[in-house]
Amino acid sequence: MTSAVAGPAILARGLTKMYGRHRGVLDLDLEVRPGEVFGYLGPNGSGKTTTIRLLLGLLRPTRGDARVFDLDPWTRGVEVHRRVGYLPGELALYEQLTAEELFAHFGHLRGRIDWPFVRRLTERLDLDPARHIRQLSRGNKQKVGVVQAFLHRPDLLVLDEPTTGLDPLVQEEFQRIIREEAAEGRTVFLSSHVLHEVEHLADRVGIIREGRLVVVEEIGALKAKALHELELHFGGPVPAAAFAALPGVSDVAVADSTLRCTVTGSIDALVKAASRFEVVRLTSHEADLEDIFLAYYGRDEAEGGGRSAG
Amino acid sequence: MLRSVAAKTLRDQGRALFFWAVGIGSLAILYPALWPSFGRNSTYSKIFEQFPETYRTIITAGLGGDLGTATGYLNTELYSFLAPLLLLIYAVTAGANGIAGEEERGTLDLLLANPVARSRVVLEKALAMALGTAIIGLALWLVLWVGVRAWNMDVGTGNLAAATVAAVVLGVAFGSLSLALGAWTGRRGVALGVTLAVAVLAYFVNALAPVAKVLMPYRPFSPFRYYSGHDPLRNGLHAGDMGVLLGLAVVFLILGVLAFRRRDLAA
Repeated sequence: MTSAVAGPAILARGLTKMYGRHRGVLDLDLEVRPGEVFGYLGPNGSGKTTTIRLLLGLLRPTRGDARVFDLDPWTRGVEVHRRVGYLPGELALYEQLTAEELFAHFGHLRGRIDWPFVRRLTERLDLDPARHIRQLSRGNKQKVGVVQAFLHRPDLLVLDEPTTGLDPLVQEEFQRIIREEAAEGRTVFLSSHVLHEVEHLADRVGIIREGRLVVVEEIGALKAKALHELELHFGGPVPAAAFAALPGVSDVAVADSTLRCTVTGSIDALVKAASRFEVVRLTSHEADLEDIFLAYYGRDEAEGGGRSAG
Repeated sequence: MLRSVAAKTLRDQGRALFFWAVGIGSLAILYPALWPSFGRNSTYSKIFEQFPETYRTIITAGLGGDLGTATGYLNTELYSFLAPLLLLIYAVTAGANGIAGEEERGTLDLLLANPVARSRVVLEKALAMALGTAIIGLALWLVLWVGVRAWNMDVGTGNLAAATVAAVVLGVAFGSLSLALGAWTGRRGVALGVTLAVAVLAYFVNALAPVAKVLMPYRPFSPFRYYSGHDPLRNGLHAGDMGVLLGLAVVFLILGVLAFRRRDLAA
């Protein structure tokens, strides 16, 4: 089921959507290769959902071009939809149906459904397909949303914040499923507002901020620049000088026996330096997207509104 | 019942349709039952005949209404106002729910992510609306058919069917308007409100025109004119009138499809 088209699975050129005078996305240039898992990261309201709804042909571009398998989703929506599975960010299902009935209905609209696969999927996600959707918890509704995106084993999966409401065990299962689909040559476009949701899945990541795509990067390169905020509690007072000069370590602040600092990339050097003292506790926070972005471009450029990248 | 958008929409309507059918049936049976007391040679029917011509014309909304005959009685009491009104309300509500209702609930996104054209979704929603209205019309006709026999009313089965079909077709015309407005604006309240306002206006233009001559030039623009103009309970279905109403429905649906294909879906 790999794509027969040699060109990109998704292509956007100067793609722009304005809602009146409010921006949706601005001059988006994006290329997603067939068979790749692409993480689409951005804070809430940055334009992720607008991009996705443009790619589905639910919105009409203000200007610029979108292509999915070389088809314009606005004018050739039916053909695009045949090859795309979609999980909306704001999931609204037919509450009066059971999951099974929903799959059957969409199955009839789609024509061909891989039922054995659908059954395996509902089992793996531990979803009871015979219950009415209105009786399901938020997490279970999300599972219904996930499964319906896979019904026809699409060449391209477009998933908007797919792990919303899923508990950690189900998230892991979901990640395994995505990896298996990708291994079979399917393309996955995955949006999220947190890096760790996509870092184990994505080959490449694009970061969108205030409607503009600011960086597209291999996941490894992005993580190498990822920031961690660390807090170490020692058995006794420690000298700041022992840490300030370490590679990748910045913002060092020592108060009595507590050290706070920011580390870019690996924390190896810091841990080794700390091991000379008695370490009572170590806590680490992954920096949020905004911080990664700031680290990436530096504060000046960030406040200048970023720049588009291809 | 999940094979198509139209079938699934009707299935969703199942319970509502059942209660509508029971409700309209219970109401309708009252009229044959009250025929001996208020129609025929009852005191009430004689008093009604003394009413000024103007008043009787307005009340019967252009349908021939003398309470002394079974046809006149049913026209006056049921087919001039209540029957078309109820069918119209069902059709207009179903029309507004079709696109705008799904859009407001957020379910339209996933539906349209399937390989179905927007135009097809509008037309299947129209089909479901028309079939639902026809089912309620069928319930109305069945109950009246029984009632007319039970109380010895001199009304033909075919004529009863003709009047009911005319009311269904009138409902479908307005239902198509509300479906189209919903497809255009995505807002259920707008579709319902505007359509019902238009229906009320159209009703009064048609009903008052005979007495308020200033309205007469506008009477051909009222869809109600093509419902009651040739008195289907007395004369059977008028092909031209039905053609106008169905043509109106088709025009509304085409405009609805065109508007729907051009616009963004609300998130």
